[in-house]
Amino acid sequence: MKKVMYLEFERCIGCRACQAACRECGGHDMKERNYVEYIDFTESRQTFPMLCMQCKDPACAKVCPANAIQITEEGVVLSAMEEKCIGCRNCTFGCPFGIPKFDFEENKMYKCDMCYDRTKHEIAPMCASVCPSDAIRFIDHEEMMELRRKRTQMNLIEGKKPSENDKWQYVPEFFGVYSD
Amino acid sequence: MKVLEKSFYSKASMYSFFVVMILFFSMWIGTGQFTKVDYMLFGYMVASFIFFIGMTVRITAWTMRPATHEIIKRSIQNMKNRNRQKRNTKAIAKTLFDNIILQKYIFKRGIYRGIQHWLIAWGCIGSLAITFGLTFGWMHFRLVDATTYQMVVFGIPSISMHPDGLLASLVFEGLNITATMLLIGVIMAIVRRIKNHDLQVTQRPEFDLLPLYILLAMTATGLFLTISYKLLGGWMHPQLQLLHQITTVLFLVYFPFGKLFHLPIRPMAISVPMNYQEEPGVDTKKCLGCGELYSNDDQIADVQTILGKQAFDFQTKDGHQLSDYCTGCRRKIRVMSQLNMNSPLGEAAGPVQTNNGIHLPGFGRGRSEAFYDNRVKEERK
Ligand code: SF4
Ligand code: SF4
Repeated sequence: MKKVMYLEFERCIGCRACQAACRECGGHDMKERNYVEYIDFTESRQTFPMLCMQCKDPACAKVCPANAIQITEEGVVLSAMEEKCIGCRNCTFGCPFGIPKFDFEENKMYKCDMCYDRTKHEIAPMCASVCPSDAIRFIDHEEMMELRRKRTQMNLIEGKKPSENDKWQYVPEFFGVYSD
Repeated sequence: MKVLEKSFYSKASMYSFFVVMILFFSMWIGTGQFTKVDYMLFGYMVASFIFFIGMTVRITAWTMRPATHEIIKRSIQNMKNRNRQKRNTKAIAKTLFDNIILQKYIFKRGIYRGIQHWLIAWGCIGSLAITFGLTFGWMHFRLVDATTYQMVVFGIPSISMHPDGLLASLVFEGLNITATMLLIGVIMAIVRRIKNHDLQVTQRPEFDLLPLYILLAMTATGLFLTISYKLLGGWMHPQLQLLHQITTVLFLVYFPFGKLFHLPIRPMAISVPMNYQEEPGVDTKKCLGCGELYSNDDQIADVQTILGKQAFDFQTKDGHQLSDYCTGCRRKIRVMSQLNMNSPLGEAAGPVQTNNGIHLPGFGRGRSEAFYDNRVKEERK
């Protein structure tokens, strides 16, 4: 997989189309797995979308006592395996981005898996395919690097490259499966 | 224990050794020093040994993961704690009854799924129990006189029964009953896998379907064996016998290594109400950022220990950990620092120092003035 997800928070217009698209996805049981939230409601109406960063060394999987979170060969961190998840919520507290959601009724965790069934065929995930303002994009690695360079010049992002273990500290604007 | 452990290659091999020893001696006692071994069951016996060794190795490897180790450690601590006895008993009883015996949470995912899983689970556990009981000779039946059968458990005579009585037929038909449960459950599961398109999106044939086909082959041949000697006068009996033995051996050897291995993991669900959340959905720990209740102290402490053990550094600038904040605040912290904005959450979420450490070419490195002059010129053009 050469393509990556690319987020630009300030482009978000708060239409929540990505959440609606996520709910529609097969197997999601009409529950969205991504977030659209206000940055600071007292200051402005600016919203931001948030999805799983598909960490290379995912904290969620490492804190799961049941070993229920699997990572595909492309590096996508999957939702919990339903037969193993014991419903402890460790993953929710371990994840630096606060991504995994929890269903108390059915006693299982569910999280964004970057629409693995689509992205493994290089089809954009549901959220990226509907975002009208390009806040969420599914693009080539090259294109992402280009965009990132521009953002650095505007000093909008931190000038460091995230590594396997500290992605959370730096630039959550590009994630997914990046080859470098 | 430590010294003992050193005489083996690994923990897993040590435990396997003990398990094999226990099985061997229980068999020795059960079969009266191997005088009553049923050689028809030889293949099952070898496979059962492999099953137990496989389970031991897998369970040992699983409990050695930092996350699993931590939760088990706390569970043992809490079990020993006298002040928590009431909570422990309640947690164990409730989880055992709701999650394991009735499997309520699966019924909430759908009635069809609930029935299907319940039939497979209890059909499987029942069949395994009977198979192990018979192959290791833990129990066998003895004809005392023409009208009394006796069950002998570990060489000790126990309940007697009339061969035509209800109890006797339940006992003798045990495997047939569990096999029928399994067969119905497995067929339901296969139908669901074929019909449900949502499932096909994420299912992996070798992982999700293979165990179902192995179960199907095993139960179908087993039940056909019964039909053969009951209704067909033993037609094809030896061949069916062999076929059933092969499929069962396949099942027993596969069990510890495939999807079915979730069986020994499930009881750990007890530790959730016992260690962490006493009432489902009720939290007790406040978020450092917004003050909302989002978790409980013990769980956050465990998560932080597990992360620490695996060299995750999630410390914020004010000396706390990211997991001290609720999920919403954590998301906000990340966005704020990404946009280099001041945060109402304080230092933890403050802007991150830019331009330091290792750079990618062209990233954050101070450029010569000429570069900017050129840019300005270019833009003017
Ligand atoms: S962002 Fe969170 S949920 Fe996603 S892979 Fe990383 S730790 Fe796991
Ligand atoms: S809630 Fe499920 S997936 Fe998450 S850590 Fe617990 S067992 Fe693992």
